[in-house]
Amino acid sequence: MGNFGYLMDGFATVITTHHIVIMVIGVMLGILVGVLPGLGAPNGVSLLLPLTFTMDPISAIILLSCMYWGALFGGSTTSILFNIPGEPSSVATTFDGYPMARNGQATRALTLAFMSAGIGALAGVVMITLLSTWVARFALQFSSPEFFAVYFLAFASFIGMGANAPAKTLVTMMLGFALATVGMDTISGGLRLTFGIPDLIKGVSFLVAVMGLFGIGELLLTTEEGLRFDGIKARVRAVDVLKALKEMPRYGWSILRSTLIGIWMGITPAGPTAASFMSYGLARRFAKDKSQFGKGDPRGIVSPETADHSAGTSALLPMLALGVPGSATAAVMMGGLMIWGMTPGPMLFIERPDFVWGLIASMYLGNVVAVLLVLTTVPLYASILRVPFSIVGPVIVAIIFSGAYQIANSTFDMWLVLGFGVLGYLFKKLDYPIAPLVLAMVLGDKAEDAFRQSMLMSNGSLTIFWSNPLVGGIMALGLLMLAWPVVAKAVGLRGIRRGSATTHSAKL
Amino acid sequence: MVEFERGSVSRKTMEIVTALLTAGAGLAICYGSWRSGIGWSDMGPEAGYFPFYIGVLVILGSLVTLVRSAFFYQHDGEIFLDSKRARPVLGFFLPVGAFIVVSLLLGLYVGTALYIFGSMKWQGGYRWWVSALAALAVTALFYLVFEIGFQVPLLKGPIEGWLGIY
Repeated sequence: MGNFGYLMDGFATVITTHHIVIMVIGVMLGILVGVLPGLGAPNGVSLLLPLTFTMDPISAIILLSCMYWGALFGGSTTSILFNIPGEPSSVATTFDGYPMARNGQATRALTLAFMSAGIGALAGVVMITLLSTWVARFALQFSSPEFFAVYFLAFASFIGMGANAPAKTLVTMMLGFALATVGMDTISGGLRLTFGIPDLIKGVSFLVAVMGLFGIGELLLTTEEGLRFDGIKARVRAVDVLKALKEMPRYGWSILRSTLIGIWMGITPAGPTAASFMSYGLARRFAKDKSQFGKGDPRGIVSPETADHSAGTSALLPMLALGVPGSATAAVMMGGLMIWGMTPGPMLFIERPDFVWGLIASMYLGNVVAVLLVLTTVPLYASILRVPFSIVGPVIVAIIFSGAYQIANSTFDMWLVLGFGVLGYLFKKLDYPIAPLVLAMVLGDKAEDAFRQSMLMSNGSLTIFWSNPLVGGIMALGLLMLAWPVVAKAVGLRGIRRGSATTHSAKL
Repeated sequence: MVEFERGSVSRKTMEIVTALLTAGAGLAICYGSWRSGIGWSDMGPEAGYFPFYIGVLVILGSLVTLVRSAFFYQHDGEIFLDSKRARPVLGFFLPVGAFIVVSLLLGLYVGTALYIFGSMKWQGGYRWWVSALAALAVTALFYLVFEIGFQVPLLKGPIEGWLGIY
C-alpha cells in the first residue's frame, strides 16, 4: 500500500510546531473571512496569496487550504446564528439551522452542523487518499488533446449542470478565457487584446478579478440589502454539545447519502453550492415526515453541511491529479501553485510527492483542528458580526485594495478591482454565475496551450479530438454534459436539476 | 448611471443592457484577436486564433440572452434597482472611488486612515476622536501585518517620506 506510506511521510512533514501554528492561524483567518460579509473563501485565499510568495510552498498551501476549511465552517456559523449565509454554499443551512437556533437550540444546531461538516470533509480526504495516485497515474497517459478534452468536459458540465441559464454561464466563462489571453502570448511572444494600453501588457491577474467580483461586488449587494445583523446569542455549553453528539448516529443514512453527493459534485466542477442544495432537496424528498423541514429539522442541517464540506475537500482531487480545480477557491489555490512554480497535474505526484502528501495529511489534521476551533470560538466570531457595517465595511475595502496592490505593485490593478466589483454586482443581480469566470481565467492559458498543441499535432483538424477511444470518450461525455438540460427535460429529470438550483433559481 | 434619474429601473432593461454590454465585449475580443492574426502561420495557429473563437462564443451567448430577455421574458415586473436602494449603494461606492484616488496621491496607508475615519464619522455617525482612533489603529495594524509581518510593501506617498518611515 504505497499511498499509506506516502501519507505517513506526509504526516511526518506536517506534524511540527511550525505547521500546526500555521494551521491554527489559517483556520482562524478562514473562519473570520467566512463570517464577514464580502469576504468569502475565494476572496480570502486571494488576499492571502500574495503574502505567501516568500513562504515555502508546503507551509503556504497548508495556510491557504486551512483557510478554506475555516471559511466553510465560518459560513455555516452565520447561517445558523444570523440567518445570513457567509458563503453561497451555506445558503441551504439557513433553511433549518436558523429556525432551530431561534427555538433556543443554537448549540445543538451548531454542533450538528460542525460535526457533520467534519465527517463530510474527512470522507472527502479519505477519498482523495485512496483515489489520487490512481487518477494521477491514469492521467499520465494524457497528451495535449486529452488534456483539452478534460478542460472541455469540466466547462461543459458547468454549462449543462449549473443552476444558471446556460447562455449566461457560457458568457461569463468565455469572458474569463478572454481575460486570460490578455497580454503577452506565450507561444508567439506577440501582444494580444491590450488595445494599446500599456498596463494591460502584464495581463489581468485572476486574483484581481476574484477580489473585485467576489469582494467589492458582494459588499455592494450587502449595502443595497441594508443587512442588519440581529443574531441569536450563542453560548456553547459542553452538555449541549455532548447531547447533540449522541444524536448524530441517528442521521447516519443522511450523512452517507450527502457524502456521496458531495464527493461527486466536488470532483465534477459543480462545486459545494450545488452539492448542498441537492443534498437538502434529496433529504427532504426521502424523509417520511416532511412537516419539520424549514422549522428546524436536524436532517435539514446535517445533509447540506455534510455535502458542502465533502464537496469542498473533494474539489482538490481533480486540482491535484488533473490540474482542473473543482471550485472557485480550488481554482485560486491552483493559481497559487503555478505562481510558486509548480504544475498541478499528474506530474506533481512524481516530482513533488512530499508536497502532495503533506497537503493531504494537512487536510486530515486541518479539518479536525477546524472543528475544535470553531466550536470553542463561535461566541467570539458572533460578536465580530455585531460590529456595525460602517466600520467593518471600510476595513474590508481597505484590505481588498491593499491586497490588490500587493499582487504586482500596480495601481492600475486597483482600478480593475473597482471595475470587476461593478461587474460582479451586475452579474450577481442578474444571475450570471461568477465561478466559471474565475476557473476559466486560471485555466485559460493551459487550455489554450493544450488546444494549440493539439492543432499543431493534427495540422488544424478538429478530428484529433476523436482520434482514440480515450480522448473521444471524454469529448463525448463533455457533449453529453452540454446537452444535459435538453436530455434531462426529455427524460423528465427536471426536478433534480432544479433541486440543485440556487435560491434565485434561474428558470430560463 | 443615467438610469437612476427615472426613479427605478426594471430588471428587464438591465438584462438587455448587460447582454448588449457582453456582446460589445465579444466584438472587442474578436477585433483584438483579428489584429493579432486569427489564421494559420508556419508556426501553427496564430496568436489570435483561440481568442477569436472565444469572442464568437461570447457574442453567441449574449445574443441568446438578449433574445430571451426581449421576447421570452420570465421575471416580469421585477425591479433591478430603485432610488431608495440605489442611495446606500452609491453611498458605499463613491467613497471607495475617493479612497482609490486619495491612495494613489498619498499612499495606501494615509488613504486607508482617511477612508476609515471618513466612513465612521459621516456614515456611522461616530464622534471624531473615536473615528480617528479606530482609523489609526487599523492603519497601524496594516503596517505591522504587511510591512513587518509579511514584508510586502504597500504603496507609499509623500507623508511617509516626511515622517522618515520610508
